[in-house]
Amino acid sequence: MSRARDTADAETDAEPLIAAEDVEVHFEKEQGILELFDDPDVVKAVDGISVAIEENDVLALVGESGCGKTTLGKTIIGLQQPTGGAIKYRGRDIWETKAGNTDLSFKDVRSSLQIIHQDPGSSLNPNRRIVETLAEPIRLTHPDITAGERRERIHSLLERVGMTPAHDFASRYPHQLSGGEKQRVALARALLMNPDVILADEAISALDVSLRVEMMDLMLDLQSEFNTSFVFVSHDLSNARYFAEHGDGRVGVMYLGNLVEVGPPERLIADPQHPYTEVLRWATPNLSLDATEASDPPMRKIDIPDPVNPPSGCRFHTRCPEARETCTRLQPELEEFSDLEASSDRADSSRSHRVACFRSEPDHQYWESSAIED
Amino acid sequence: MTTTSERLHRSNDAVEDPILEVKNASVTFDDGETYVLDDVTFSIERNEILGVVGESGSGKSMLASALLDAIPAPGHLSGEVLYHPDQHTTVDILEFTDDELMEYRWADVSMVFQGAMSSFNPTMKVGAHFQDTLKAHNESVPDGMEFAREILSDLYLDPERVLDSYPHELSGGMQQRALIALSLLLEPEVLVMDEPTAALDLLMQRSILLLLEDIKEKYDVTMVFITHDLPLVASLADRMAVMYAFELIEAGPRDRIIGESAHPYTRALLNSTPNIDAPLEEMQPIPGKSPAPVNVPTGCSYADRCPLATETCTRDAPSFDQVEDEHTVACHHWQQAREEIALSFAGGDEAGRSTGGERR
Repeated sequence: MSRARDTADAETDAEPLIAAEDVEVHFEKEQGILELFDDPDVVKAVDGISVAIEENDVLALVGESGCGKTTLGKTIIGLQQPTGGAIKYRGRDIWETKAGNTDLSFKDVRSSLQIIHQDPGSSLNPNRRIVETLAEPIRLTHPDITAGERRERIHSLLERVGMTPAHDFASRYPHQLSGGEKQRVALARALLMNPDVILADEAISALDVSLRVEMMDLMLDLQSEFNTSFVFVSHDLSNARYFAEHGDGRVGVMYLGNLVEVGPPERLIADPQHPYTEVLRWATPNLSLDATEASDPPMRKIDIPDPVNPPSGCRFHTRCPEARETCTRLQPELEEFSDLEASSDRADSSRSHRVACFRSEPDHQYWESSAIED
Repeated sequence: MTTTSERLHRSNDAVEDPILEVKNASVTFDDGETYVLDDVTFSIERNEILGVVGESGSGKSMLASALLDAIPAPGHLSGEVLYHPDQHTTVDILEFTDDELMEYRWADVSMVFQGAMSSFNPTMKVGAHFQDTLKAHNESVPDGMEFAREILSDLYLDPERVLDSYPHELSGGMQQRALIALSLLLEPEVLVMDEPTAALDLLMQRSILLLLEDIKEKYDVTMVFITHDLPLVASLADRMAVMYAFELIEAGPRDRIIGESAHPYTRALLNSTPNIDAPLEEMQPIPGKSPAPVNVPTGCSYADRCPLATETCTRDAPSFDQVEDEHTVACHHWQQAREEIALSFAGGDEAGRSTGGERR
């Protein structure tokens, strides 16, 4: 808990770097000619999420495929326009900025929010040498820099991400690099713009298990060195824990477009409050011998429901082992979970632990309602 | 080569009733210049689940293809792959004619590949894949489809819906399960799975693993599960084998490989794995890179990354040593490795000692 935060504490009144306010992203399914007059099917990929990202912060989003974590990540860095709510960069709405309605230049916003894609193989142009791939963004943003200076910047950055000798790597094509090296190039490309936030979208999932820690360590080094915040999207709770704990950040658990639990990694993992977090914890492989033996999953169904037609009430109620009748009708809000230990640093919002489940409220009507029969 | 073969036979002794035996299997490209599988010897016991672990480029997919004599050209497979349909019969699948090989694949040993999306034909319904497979093997289609429905429901799929869908209409997890059902259609003795869950999220991976365990019990099938994800397969496997740089370096019962691994590489691999219970400070990446298939070093291939490497290691390739009962390792310094490289996760070493050697 040593790194970061001191700046954020000093200016608690200041606007957060990025603020998502009740963000909604709804996709309409494409329609055939025969369905022209029907209501379109709508997938609510992100449905009413509010979250803030400070400077030098880490937000790790976890959840299974199709839960909306990537869509939320892309919305946060302004690549996906929300259909509802607002996304603000230093207090100004990003999409209003793009329309030219604020005092910020959209070009600055765009270059300060960067992304690293999941598959490094397809995010680098196979026909270009690494140096050409990396020169392009500098040429666009700094047209007055000479070729020599450009080359120098590229080489020093490649060295910084551990690719030495830089001149050798710079003249290679992507197919001459390993998966881990390609991902380092993608990271270097994102860093060229001195960004405030980098979205790492499953950036380590395609790497070998043994290389993941190394890549995460590299990103964390750069976080402290360049003061960059990360939004780290992953389906693996143990990676999210590693990254968020070292980066002094939070883990957010998503389910079908909703944020169901947010908190500091160690607390969220040691003491999960939402039954779905419990499921993710179960799904995370564990090496200690008494835990390796696969036990039954703490959920009632394997498959995630169709997002076109999500369950009523709490969306997890169709799989939740604790679901009762109330859960089919009412949707729980994401609320501060209070326990005695946590009260000490309650003021710091980043250390708060929030959960969207009736079970965290001791006097909710949930406790009176009847269990669901399958 | 002869010395290698002799010493590697020792790693065989562990298995009493092998269903498949691989002896001195090598796969070479470029007229023997490039080794992508280097003199691998091991056996698979009837009705066990064997987990094969290795980093990408360690030769593990070549090992899977070798079990079906399906090395893509121009690769060349040498050595022996022996199949025992029952305890008293032995056939060498590398001697098979094309017809025999066609009969052997899928009916005796079937395979699930990584990425279900590329295994199904996108223009055919899932059901048609099942019918085609039955027709190609001259099986009765109605009976076969009846069986297909049963396996599909065992995998928590709705048979009618799945069979009548095109692959893209199913989620990744459903496609992968449909593919597993297809691989079991002809009731094979052995199911070889190469990264069967790699493209899926963790929750679906674990769910599929649980189902595989039930499937194994119900259909009496031997499973070989090949992956780079050590903690994942650790929850399923009875026995594990670790590959490094195209060679097998350690094999033994699951609990011993996890709890009391003897090879420095296995121990480093365990320590490099993000683990939900391990103290964060102790997760360490493995320094260095694995060697390329050309110019494999003369001695132990792990020597230049190994903290315990001595002159012996760079000179002589280590032979297989018996650590205990069924646990074998190819390392000159395995006793030292167990003393000096501590396992970082809860339950390493100590817990391993108390439960080690036990079989489920």
